[in-house]
Amino acid sequence: MQMEKNSEHEITRKENLNSADYLVEVKAPLVARKFKSGNFVIFLLHEKGERIPMSVQRAEGDKITVFFKKLGKTSRELDSWNVGDSIKSVIGPMGNAIELKKYGNVVVASDLVCGHAENYAAVKALKDAGNHVISMQSFPTKDDVYPRKELSTMADEYYLTTEDGSEGIKGHYTDVLKGLLDKNKVDMVFAGGEIPSLGKLSELTKRYNIPTMVTLRQIMIDGTGMCGACRVFIDGEMKLTCIDGPMFDGHKVNFEEVIARLGMFREEESVAMDNYNNRGVHCGHK
Amino acid sequence: MDINKTRVPMRELPVEDRIKKFDEVPLGYTEEQAIAEAGRCIQCNNAPCIRDCPVKIDIKTFLKQVAEGKFKEAFLTLKKDNPIPAIAGRVCPQESQCESVCTLGKIGDAANIGKLESFAADWARKNNVREEFDIEEKPQKVAVIGTGPASISCAVDLRKNGYKVTMYEALHKAGGVLQYGIPEFRLPRDVVDDELSYLTDIGVDIRLNRIIGQNVSFEELRSEYDAIFIGTGAGAPLFLGIDGEKLNGVYSANEFLIRVNLMKAYKFPQYDTPIKVKDKVGVIGAGNVAMDAARSALRLGAEVHVLYRRTKNEAPARKEELRHAIEEGINFVELVAPKRILGKDGWVKGIELIKMKLGEPDSSGRPRPVPIDVSEFTMDLDTVVVALGTKPNRLFLSRTPELKTTKKGVITVDDALATNIEGVFAGGDAISGGSTVIHALGEGRKAAKSIDAYLSDKGKTGSV
Ligand SMILES: Cc1cc2nc3c(=O)[nH]c(=O)nc-3n(C[C@H](O)[C@H](O)[C@H](O)COP(=O)(O)OP(=O)(O)OC[C@H]3O[C@@H](n4cnc5c(N)ncnc54)[C@H](O)[C@@H]3O)c2cc1C
Ligand SMILES: Cc1cc2nc3c(=O)[nH]c(=O)nc-3n(C[C@H](O)[C@H](O)[C@H](O)COP(=O)(O)OP(=O)(O)OC[C@H]3O[C@@H](n4cnc5c(N)ncnc54)[C@H](O)[C@@H]3O)c2cc1C
Ligand code: SF4
Ligand code: SF4
Ligand code: FES
Repeated sequence: MQMEKNSEHEITRKENLNSADYLVEVKAPLVARKFKSGNFVIFLLHEKGERIPMSVQRAEGDKITVFFKKLGKTSRELDSWNVGDSIKSVIGPMGNAIELKKYGNVVVASDLVCGHAENYAAVKALKDAGNHVISMQSFPTKDDVYPRKELSTMADEYYLTTEDGSEGIKGHYTDVLKGLLDKNKVDMVFAGGEIPSLGKLSELTKRYNIPTMVTLRQIMIDGTGMCGACRVFIDGEMKLTCIDGPMFDGHKVNFEEVIARLGMFREEESVAMDNYNNRGVHCGHK
Repeated sequence: MDINKTRVPMRELPVEDRIKKFDEVPLGYTEEQAIAEAGRCIQCNNAPCIRDCPVKIDIKTFLKQVAEGKFKEAFLTLKKDNPIPAIAGRVCPQESQCESVCTLGKIGDAANIGKLESFAADWARKNNVREEFDIEEKPQKVAVIGTGPASISCAVDLRKNGYKVTMYEALHKAGGVLQYGIPEFRLPRDVVDDELSYLTDIGVDIRLNRIIGQNVSFEELRSEYDAIFIGTGAGAPLFLGIDGEKLNGVYSANEFLIRVNLMKAYKFPQYDTPIKVKDKVGVIGAGNVAMDAARSALRLGAEVHVLYRRTKNEAPARKEELRHAIEEGINFVELVAPKRILGKDGWVKGIELIKMKLGEPDSSGRPRPVPIDVSEFTMDLDTVVVALGTKPNRLFLSRTPELKTTKKGVITVDDALATNIEGVFAGGDAISGGSTVIHALGEGRKAAKSIDAYLSDKGKTGSV
């Protein structure tokens, strides 16, 4: 397809993170100048594209970096683009930033592409706010791991888990977190990634009465509160993920509902994928 | 004088061609037909039509010019009062405005003012006729928030007056409801794009993807511009607040129409954004928004039922839209109100409705719908579109707490459309909570006058 050139959003770096995830750095001065940890952006690759929300790993100068998972039509199409190509629109920052203050011992946990980007941004911001930051990441296996080096140097404590135990601790971040909670070492939890994990996590921290903010994903279009597609129910009250979130009190979220809504366009997504093989875990659902 | 009591009929796309495509339904008058239709106008002394046009187009002169075949002059007459005639002619509820009081209406059909308006504007576009004027540059800068009809008309007038105008739009396309809401079968996008390109031609700077209050702050605008116009509309969807609204298959009309119009989901998978209508769609409401959603769903291949708590006679949609919807085979289920949406495995499977009857007139003058006790029944559906109307978007308002609004989030303005903040004016759905294109347009123009007066008075530059 013919791409629209728009030098404002030129791709300046693109790297594989593992076999499924890749990193894209793009020029997005309007986003970069205002980005705060917790915000997300919306990508629109070209005139015929879809508006897709993405977490931001970092903003530096006039550029931002995001982590994409090769999953459906859009993420694979972008994967075929190169440094120098231009994205039609990178819109944002959207949503609310995390509330930065001194919480004490803060856990930031993630087990999926979007969560890893958020993890990085949050660790940095929460440290600057004077917290003792404990970063946790979970991956299926050792070849998948990223951006561990940066995270482990930046965070005060860092835990890595893999499902198969090939590196770090065998298991999931919720297992590690339970140990810390038992030792009474956690004051606040931020987490992002797979929605079922966020549900499990919230159940856990609720038992210990530790405040927990989770980043939710819902299907979005405008990201400005106009379509209502991203509605979620928090304690029974309707909220819009794009303008009221994307972070919500995990103890008040009905995770089953969130997961159900994410699957609304599953059939159409596989049509869009066409000959691509639609499989794998993605930000928010299996 | 021999008066022709009936309108020159408008050619329309045959129903069987309409329902598979998003092509415009009215095919427009030919030059001969336009001359004949305009010739029916009896040029009344008092021209009541003008009085009931919200922007006071000189309809009498305009129709005379069309009748004489002076299309360029006719177009320029329109342009004096309405910067977007090709759009207003298509979407104005003429039957309750200019045409409602046309003298011809007393003995037969009112003059077809709306269709003649779009005819003249289309003629001008096809023949590359544009309004020409000199702009005497002024030093002051004005920011316009939003790019809907209120903003467009405000920007045009300010620019013609020599101000430097910059428009800020949250979405990746300009036009407001004209772009994301009203479907192409009513308002082809080349018409909208042409009206917008006129703005850029006269030197208005349109900046997309700028969400004021989010990635550009209101304070930044206030420090950079000498005056500000707020035309953010009322784009937030209303939901019913009933059980089952969380189910998959339930859309707000806004989501439905944004997918179809802004994102071109009707061309999926050629365009990437999907839309899913399944087989049997229920649309709740009977306004323009509901008709647009219903007729879009029909074109996407579904069987469509409009569920309305009054009857067709009270429906607020434009008459032409109602007629088209009925012709196209949309089923109207009248005198029903939704009680809950029923689901199976997370998807919509039906709706429970309660029967209503018409009671005493309410504040709108229409008979109030009253529920009939124990009259509940269910209907099978697999998609529900909630088209209840919209409310002001709270994103902008939440970031501008200093701006005075009503409890419902409608911006409070004085007679000059000034807000409580000096140098900041507002118009359109943002101050009405939801109205019409032409009212929004009229307010945009009025605000432009006020801004001109404010800046001339101030006579200097400086932040607001
Ligand atoms: C706040 C937020 C932050 C996100 N951050 C990231 C990130 O950092 N990295 C990343 O890879 N993905 C992220 N996502 C998910 C990403 O937006 C979707 O995966 C993307 O739209 C997939 O598009 P596709 O065409 O490749 O796949 P598709 O086949 O279209 O979709 C795959 C799955 O992605 C989800 N999805 C699809 N369309 C949308 C949409 N318009 N909005 C939200 N979810 C959608 C659905 O669950 C769907 O089943 C984020 C989503 C949200 C809401
Ligand atoms: C589906 C539908 C059908 C309709 N049909 C008709 C009809 O047939 N006839 C008729 O007369 N009227 C109709 N209306 C009503 C009419 O469209 C509106 O009254 C009119 O568009 C209001 O104009 P506006 O300029 O106030 O706002 P809008 O057209 O709503 O435009 C507002 C713009 O502001 C932008 N915006 C909002 N917040 C921000 C922000 N923070 N920063 C930057 N930009 C922002 C929005 O993205 C939008 O583009 C219809 C409305 C809908 C939704
Ligand atoms: S703008 Fe609307 S009300 Fe005025 S003449 Fe045109 S169609 Fe009639
Ligand atoms: S009221 Fe009707 S007949 Fe009289 S001037 Fe207006 S359009 Fe012509
Ligand atoms: S994405 Fe449309 S309301 Fe949130």
